[in-house]
Amino acid sequence: MKYLRLILRNALRNKLRTGLTVGGTAFLMFVLLFISTALTEMEAWEGEAAKHDRIAIQHSSGLANPLPIELENFLRGEEVSRHGHQLQKMNWFGGWWQDRSNWFANLAVDHPIHRELWSEQKIPDDVQARWAEVKSGAIVGKALAEKFGWKVGQRISLLSNLYSCVPELEIVGYFTVPSDIRQEQQLFFRWDYLDELMNGRKIVGTYWMSARSAADVPKLKEIIDGHTRNSSDPTETVTEKEFAAQFMAMMGNIKGVVFFIVVGVMLIMTLMTANTVAMSARERVTEVAVLRTLGFTQGKILFLILTEGLLLSLVGLLVPLSGALLLFNVWKVSPNPQWFPYFFIEPGTIVLAAGVALVSGLLAASIPAWLSARRKIVDGLRQVV
Amino acid sequence: MAEPVVSVRGVAKIYRRDSQEIPVLENIDLTVAPGESVAMMGPSGSGKTTLLNLIAGIDRPTRGSIEVAGQALDGMSERELAKFRSRHIGFIFQLYNLIPVLTAFENVELPLLLTRLSKAERRTHVMTALDVVGLTDRIAHYPRQLSGGQEQRVAIARAIVTDPTILLADEPTGDLDKRSEEEVLILLKRLNREFKKAIIMVTHDPKAAASAQRTVMLEKGALVTA
Repeated sequence: MKYLRLILRNALRNKLRTGLTVGGTAFLMFVLLFISTALTEMEAWEGEAAKHDRIAIQHSSGLANPLPIELENFLRGEEVSRHGHQLQKMNWFGGWWQDRSNWFANLAVDHPIHRELWSEQKIPDDVQARWAEVKSGAIVGKALAEKFGWKVGQRISLLSNLYSCVPELEIVGYFTVPSDIRQEQQLFFRWDYLDELMNGRKIVGTYWMSARSAADVPKLKEIIDGHTRNSSDPTETVTEKEFAAQFMAMMGNIKGVVFFIVVGVMLIMTLMTANTVAMSARERVTEVAVLRTLGFTQGKILFLILTEGLLLSLVGLLVPLSGALLLFNVWKVSPNPQWFPYFFIEPGTIVLAAGVALVSGLLAASIPAWLSARRKIVDGLRQVV
Repeated sequence: MAEPVVSVRGVAKIYRRDSQEIPVLENIDLTVAPGESVAMMGPSGSGKTTLLNLIAGIDRPTRGSIEVAGQALDGMSERELAKFRSRHIGFIFQLYNLIPVLTAFENVELPLLLTRLSKAERRTHVMTALDVVGLTDRIAHYPRQLSGGQEQRVAIARAIVTDPTILLADEPTGDLDKRSEEEVLILLKRLNREFKKAIIMVTHDPKAAASAQRTVMLEKGALVTA
């Protein structure tokens, strides 16, 4: 700590140069935090999905194609039931409330089995009972209800481009998802109500069920897809994780792009900081020689210059990090509320950014520090800068 | 007779530039007694500063041995030499070489950062050193806010703050006006007489040399009087 003043004064020796370097670093770091957070948010479902042994049965031609209602009988049959249970029909309604900007996840589901199948959603008994009573009933995630100011008993209408009907839903209660608050941005209503509105056309988007164990998943895939292989509606059975990954795949190789950006950001940050530290060290050749004459060891000189590089990187991290935390985690600003109802800077993202800052700072300062520490004292004293 | 504070025996220094060898010092023998002040004179390029650097342990001789404060410098590692300098050497440069981003107080405190002294103890030592050079009223001034003479006095305070065994001054008055030169010479004399500090001073100035107890002359890398 006793060297901190010397390090700080040296870092601030040329305030404009240091300011521009820190400003540039801070901007790049903000970009890194933003993109990493976007990726984390997109992958959040994939991570949560991996915790469960749920499977989705979808049309092999894609989610836009419905599945036949007759398949339900087979899925409830003995052969499938040996490996899976808690079957549920689920249709993505894709609706919005009042205005297109109020778009959120809303799905029609078989309500009796919902609570068991999606056990991470905590639905109180009285809400579940009320849902069973009211055909047009809907359960809403607590966060979504708070967002739109919905109360229990309130009636809302949903509009959708995918269905010709307009469900008029009565909110029967809220559910919470303590393990992942993002899932509270959903609304579920009854599949039988949707089917009634669609004049009993028995449209099924996907079937979901729970495998009895992880080992049963490949069996279920084999049995179900094998059964439908030669039918007019062949299926593709996937795990919930694979189902979530499909959406990531639709967006292309985002991980690759993010990796490229992280490497690019680190490289530019390193070069910027290296330039500043090198210029600063070059201006101080004589001063370093004087310090060594006073008794500072090579190791101490190395420490002083490396710490200076680290300090620049650290400030370049802390400024955008505190700004981003304030913006996204405290004020809950989202760059796109539809895609990212939550936009949290996760601890993992902070660790990544800190790692980038640390490596960049050390890399940037290492060569100037090493050269300064290794230079002969008499050469340094002779140098005229 | 007391052990000499500096003992230089058969020292030679040869610089190598590409394949060329440039002899700078040849077969130098010199002893300095404790509390003695020695002026080292000679024309430019005669090797005065090189010899001073060798005694300070910031350069190594090609041949010969140097002992300072009873410690043989040859064979010491870089780390050991650094420790030796911080303990025994107070170095005064011609161009003061203060750190421009630090105040007078902080510049004088620098060598003490290498010790285990507490902040309060460091402060006491710094204030004592600045009191000796008469600059306690300039502690918060940066080098750019001081005159040349004041800067050199701060540099002297930095050199004495650790109470070193010997002071080595490389043309300490070479960049000063007459009045400042006199002030610095009086100060060095006081450090020698009052505080019994051994001093070796490289100088071109006969007046500065006259303030020392003994003068040695170097010519073409050899001592002509010792």
